[in-house]
Amino acid sequence: MGVLRVRDRPRRRDARASGAALLIIGALAACAPGGDARPADAAALAELPWDSVVARARGTEVVWRMWRGDPAVNRYVDEWVAPRVAERYGIRLRAVEGQGAELVNALVVEREARARGGADLTWINGETFHNLRREDLLQGPWAHVLPSAALVDSASNIVMRDSEQELHGFESPWGRVHFALIYDSLRTPQPPRTVDALGRWIDEHPGRFTHDQSFAGITFLKVLMYATAGGVERFEGGFEEDAYVAGRDSVLAWIEEHEDRFWRAGRVYPFGVAELHRLFANGEVDFSMSNNQNEAVTKARQGVLPASARPLILRDGTIANAHYVGIPFNAPNPAGAMLVADLLLSPEAQLEKLRAEVWGDGTVLDLDRLSAEWRGRFAEVEGHPGTVPQDTLSRYARPEVAPEYHERLQQDWRERIRGGG
Amino acid sequence: MTSRRGRLGIAAAAILTAPVVVGVGYAVAGALGLVGPGASGRPSLDRTFLVLSESAVIEGTLWILWVAAASTLLAGVASMGIAVALRGTGRLDGLGRALAVLPLPVPHLVAAVAGLLVLGQSGFFARLAFQAGLIDGPSGMPALVYDPLGIGLIVALVWKEIPFLSLVAFSVLGTRGDALERTARGLGASGRDVLFRVTLPILWRGMLPAAVAVFTFVAGSYEAAVILAPSDPLPLPLLTWERFVDAGLDRRGDAYVLALLGLWIAALAVVAHEVVRAKLPSLEGAHQ
Repeated sequence: MGVLRVRDRPRRRDARASGAALLIIGALAACAPGGDARPADAAALAELPWDSVVARARGTEVVWRMWRGDPAVNRYVDEWVAPRVAERYGIRLRAVEGQGAELVNALVVEREARARGGADLTWINGETFHNLRREDLLQGPWAHVLPSAALVDSASNIVMRDSEQELHGFESPWGRVHFALIYDSLRTPQPPRTVDALGRWIDEHPGRFTHDQSFAGITFLKVLMYATAGGVERFEGGFEEDAYVAGRDSVLAWIEEHEDRFWRAGRVYPFGVAELHRLFANGEVDFSMSNNQNEAVTKARQGVLPASARPLILRDGTIANAHYVGIPFNAPNPAGAMLVADLLLSPEAQLEKLRAEVWGDGTVLDLDRLSAEWRGRFAEVEGHPGTVPQDTLSRYARPEVAPEYHERLQQDWRERIRGGG
Repeated sequence: MTSRRGRLGIAAAAILTAPVVVGVGYAVAGALGLVGPGASGRPSLDRTFLVLSESAVIEGTLWILWVAAASTLLAGVASMGIAVALRGTGRLDGLGRALAVLPLPVPHLVAAVAGLLVLGQSGFFARLAFQAGLIDGPSGMPALVYDPLGIGLIVALVWKEIPFLSLVAFSVLGTRGDALERTARGLGASGRDVLFRVTLPILWRGMLPAAVAVFTFVAGSYEAAVILAPSDPLPLPLLTWERFVDAGLDRRGDAYVLALLGLWIAALAVVAHEVVRAKLPSLEGAHQ
């Protein structure tokens, strides 16, 4: 027995050591800066007078999770927005990486871990908004109480419906863009201006056209879907299986008809739009594309694209959409986030980011609600050489349809065209 | 003392492995549909069977295994050659050894971008060929990046892994080569016999753990593949990421299955290494 006892002791100690190790693992798993001490959420703040929201947000820090892939956007946020919220409200704005699907995944894991939120504000739209709402990961409603919300173009379907989803005050409009092809006005002085003409151009110039696999590329497929399957009207009013199947078959048939004259005979597609820009700039293909019609000009200014790069709006119609900011369900500082969102909607902030030399991002404001002085300033900026005139954009703008169209088209394109579903 | 050391060892090992254990546990739960984006909350193996039977997954896995095997083998052979050629004590040998390991700190991402800038159809070689009148434009250049065989990716990885494997090879030869080689020569072995029956076996056996590390790293790495790999087949690491950020929330759970598949590949490589090592006769014992 004595021998047994002596042998048992280390076992118990080992068991305690293992228990301690498990506790450490548990602690790591929980990552547990407790999630229960929640501040008033944005919906509750929206019930308070605006001055009260301002008072709560003064001197705080706001973490903004956003796409940080464009130096021009980063510069605008870090060097224009951040100093102004610091000056006006004493808010320290810190922009960090995190967008789209990654953002949804991160918030799901934070919820599972009951972790305090890592961000107060997020940059979202379309499928991301759809998934965040589906998973109940956004606070709201709050966007309608922002003082600058009164200036938003509330008559616009493109601004007030995010891929056919009602905003319901869960996200605040920030910018508006149009999908555009990008061509080199020296290399291709007479670019094709319709989907049919583009098809003929591809056939006559084998190896000089492709699209990317990511967001811009799938938007291009949706432009083709509208153009080849009866217009956007056929797909409006929510996702409908029969309309989708007809649209999908139509766009994939168009691709299959021309694919062997694509770059590398359609056997490979650039991973993202940055790779497509590189192929275009290096002369491997004659077109790039972007979800922002002004990217031709802004990227040319950055030296990424040739100075002769120009946006091309297809006459069959091109997808216009808006992007927004939202407040995650676990944001530690929703009051600060609301103040930043309000500043982003102010005429001066909207005008600044509209400048091609800054970002070239379209405004979500209704210019008729602004003073004559502000309207004049906007008109001056919109007339920048190389940018597409506003009336052209308005004439050919087509809204996004339900996010399921994007999801299904992406999946079916991967399976039937690209391979590697 | 021993038991205290043992307990400390267990605690240290637990701390080191905790992130892996937690990660694997979470991935298993995600693959079963219990946690993560789009999780149903009801445990099921359906997703696992469905994903593992997809041709895209099978092809993407085989493709990255091919790239990992080819790049490890080529880098390993080149490193052995470099180690044998530069094993002398002269100044030039020392300089050669230093130059051979010089690219060691270069990140894989930088190596991949360099591969793109050199081997791409508008890259350095293409521009040289154009200037020399050998091709009349980018499409005239053979496709060495985004290519189905992964030539560009393999070249970039071989360039990146040679310094690491060379460093290991120098160390193996420096610590274990001389005595056995002297013994073999003393027993009358020719220079050729010493090279093929003593030096190279010492080298490849000593480099085997490092080669396994390189193989598993390449099989699971994303950053070089995303720059240089084709879109069909899509390599397993890219497919894993693509599913993790799929626009459709319901497909994101596929990524947990694929991440576990990648982990299995790495674990199998380590197990295979242990089995091979256990079966190899000791070189030291062979001549005693």
